[in-house]
Amino acid sequence: MDTETSFAIDDIETVIKSSIGSVLTDTQYNPTKINDQINSIISATLKGLQSLRRPYKYTTTAILMQKNGAGLVSAASTFWDAENDGLCKVMWENQTMHCVVTVFGTCVNVVDGGEGAGEEEEKEEVVVNKKEE
Amino acid sequence: MTVDIKTIVEPTFRTTPEDACKLYPTKAKLIADEILCEKLENKSADDVEFEFEELSKSIADEVKEKIKASMHIPRYKVLVQATIGTMKDQGVKITSRCLWDTSTDNYATASFQNEFIFASVLVFFLYTD
Repeated sequence: MDTETSFAIDDIETVIKSSIGSVLTDTQYNPTKINDQINSIISATLKGLQSLRRPYKYTTTAILMQKNGAGLVSAASTFWDAENDGLCKVMWENQTMHCVVTVFGTCVNVVDGGEGAGEEEEKEEVVVNKKEE
Repeated sequence: MTVDIKTIVEPTFRTTPEDACKLYPTKAKLIADEILCEKLENKSADDVEFEFEELSKSIADEVKEKIKASMHIPRYKVLVQATIGTMKDQGVKITSRCLWDTSTDNYATASFQNEFIFASVLVFFLYTD
């Protein structure tokens, strides 16, 4: 698998952690500021992802929840190209709130001399090459 | 003589979906709403706390399968994220933003709330050629 088109979880995790850190470090849960805070986290994450310059589409979700003893569960189900696509999640907390940021990355087909990236799910067009020895 | 069959799947180079395969996110919203109501309507806090994990996974899977089956969108990748939480007078904010092709890609959201639990389902559709 070409490293340029595989999903790089570490780089994305770094981007997410730095954007959360820049917005939420040393802050307490404040309902008046939460709108701006969450918007800044998301736009900083997207800008960072854009700067990675990879052939990927990104979907970023952020959940900010006040700590109150309540439970929270998040699950994801996806229909994608299992080889090239992936997701990265970062969970962060301080004394007054939880923050969960999830980034889904899906590969854009970058064709290399006629051979496709190859989707594993059913596709309409299939080219079959037979090698006979 | 040995025959080696190698299947190469090539991109179709259709940068936009065909007319018959267009995406209508409102339909996905209806599907997600229906599944949320069906699964969470009669739940109370006690039942749900133990089943939270299973419930969120099954909601995400069911929404994805139903969307695949009933919406004719073969060229689309589907991402579903389901979040469930208990109501304890806390503040929560869920936001998302995407870096995608605005002409072909879209999303749908559905949410549910009763006195014990809240749930939110986000569905994203990404076109691939």
